[in-house]
Amino acid sequence: MARESRPPGTFRPGLGAGTTSTTPIRRASSADPTPSSAHSRHSLVIRTPGSQNRGLSASGRKATAPGPSATPHARAAFRTIDSRRAAISTPHGARRQSLREVRDTPRNLLLPLARMLARGTQVIASSSSPPAGEGSTVMEGVEEKEEEEEEEDLPKRPRLSLPIDVEEDDSDLYPHRSAGLEDENFTMQSIEMPRRAISEQLPGQGGSRFSMGSVRMSDYFAAGGTELRSEDAGIDSGFFPPGMALDGDTGVDEDFPSYERAESDVGRRETLARVSDFGIEVPLDMNESTVVIAPQVQDSPMRQLNEYYDEPALDPRSDDDDRLEEAAAQEANETVLGVEETEMDEATAKISAKRATKKRNVKISRHGIEYPSLPPAVVKRLAQTFAKTSGAKGKINPDTLKAIMQASDWFFEQVGEDLEAYAKHAHRKTIDESDMLTLMKRQRQTSPHMTPFALAQRHLPRELLQELRMTPPVPVKKRRKAGGEAEEEDGD
Amino acid sequence: MAPGQKLYPRSTVKKIVKAHSGCNVSKNVDVMIFLDYVLFMQTLMKEATIEAKQGGERGVTARSVRRATGDTLAKFKG
Repeated sequence: MARESRPPGTFRPGLGAGTTSTTPIRRASSADPTPSSAHSRHSLVIRTPGSQNRGLSASGRKATAPGPSATPHARAAFRTIDSRRAAISTPHGARRQSLREVRDTPRNLLLPLARMLARGTQVIASSSSPPAGEGSTVMEGVEEKEEEEEEEDLPKRPRLSLPIDVEEDDSDLYPHRSAGLEDENFTMQSIEMPRRAISEQLPGQGGSRFSMGSVRMSDYFAAGGTELRSEDAGIDSGFFPPGMALDGDTGVDEDFPSYERAESDVGRRETLARVSDFGIEVPLDMNESTVVIAPQVQDSPMRQLNEYYDEPALDPRSDDDDRLEEAAAQEANETVLGVEETEMDEATAKISAKRATKKRNVKISRHGIEYPSLPPAVVKRLAQTFAKTSGAKGKINPDTLKAIMQASDWFFEQVGEDLEAYAKHAHRKTIDESDMLTLMKRQRQTSPHMTPFALAQRHLPRELLQELRMTPPVPVKKRRKAGGEAEEEDGD
Repeated sequence: MAPGQKLYPRSTVKKIVKAHSGCNVSKNVDVMIFLDYVLFMQTLMKEATIEAKQGGERGVTARSVRRATGDTLAKFKG
């Protein structure tokens, strides 16, 4: 700045004592701490021709000061170095710097030390260092060395930081997926909690689904992948692609939640469906194996174990077994007991058998009165006629007839009880026609539009209708209903 | 119905109702009861036919009759 403003011709004669007094003052004002005039002269000699300066910079030879001749890398490095020096010289600034960038502190300490030492040390020419025959001074060589150190340091810094980052990245890549899945699993469990409760309600499949199902697996996941059962491990391998299940525990940062959630909606359902499939398939196999094998081996003790299976097919077996056992026990007791009792038993059995063979139709009502059932022929005839009218074939199987007989028995029982209730309500001991009329009315068989006589005329054959008409109560009944007598007269 | 054939044994119906109710049955109530029974049978067979048709069975089977029995009995509950 100041040097260039002065022409070189005026500056050289100014090397005397008079000029030297002026220059240091001005140079003191400038930031460069050039100590002696010899350095300045040397530098001046070099700098006055601009072409030389450029050539030197192009050849890679560095100037004493980090001036414009330095490469941009070097310039940036010098800037940072200067700033750090200033920071170190000021104590508070140093603290802040150290707080900001921890890794730079050793270098900041080393650089001034190197500068201090470099003045006393000489350059050691190594094979790697560029040849020193280019007219470089000791200071230049030292600075070159420093720059080499810096250049070495510059790549080193990222190396120091990078491997850690790379490892973290590697560790992050896999775990992020699996960890996201884990999070989804957690949410799934929170969602599936009620489902578990439902499965608990069904005790038979609940236990099996538990073991296979979501909860324990997930818990094992959370605890650590190593604690998985063999079953669960198999399921996991089936569930998740192997890369995901590898890394169990990595705290998932919230860097990727958007990505994970975008996947999650699909993934959850897939996992859900797979979970349900597993829940259905595998435990069934388990159940089948246990169920099929166990009862064959053991009869009575397995009942306690099978209590939670709730399978209806097993209970009758056990009951049958119990019955068989009871029968065997009874036989044993009979054999143990005297011969007389067995004879008595035989006698009673014979009597009961005779009774059964004699009166198969006889049943006992709740009043203790034996009653026959309607003859099957009558029932069958009725059923055939009504089956034909209702559109089915007239044929009726013996089984069907048996069912119809059962139904008619129940019907008569029900009708008898109802009539009894009506008669007793009227403080009568005889079932009257009024009871029957109320019953039919309550059955909604008769209505103001449908008189009992009309029903009788429609459904009962003529003979029976005639018998009904010949009986005295019938006109009484018809008198109650309007227009009954006219019908009767028409019928007569 | 074949002529001369008894439609139903009146005494049997009377016995059945008497046994179930524990009461005496007046003279001509059995005819009414049989009428009610005929109505019941009609309803039962109709329901059984419907059940058989719904179940895809041929004609009226015991299963359809058993299915129809409960509803019909409930209908005829006085």
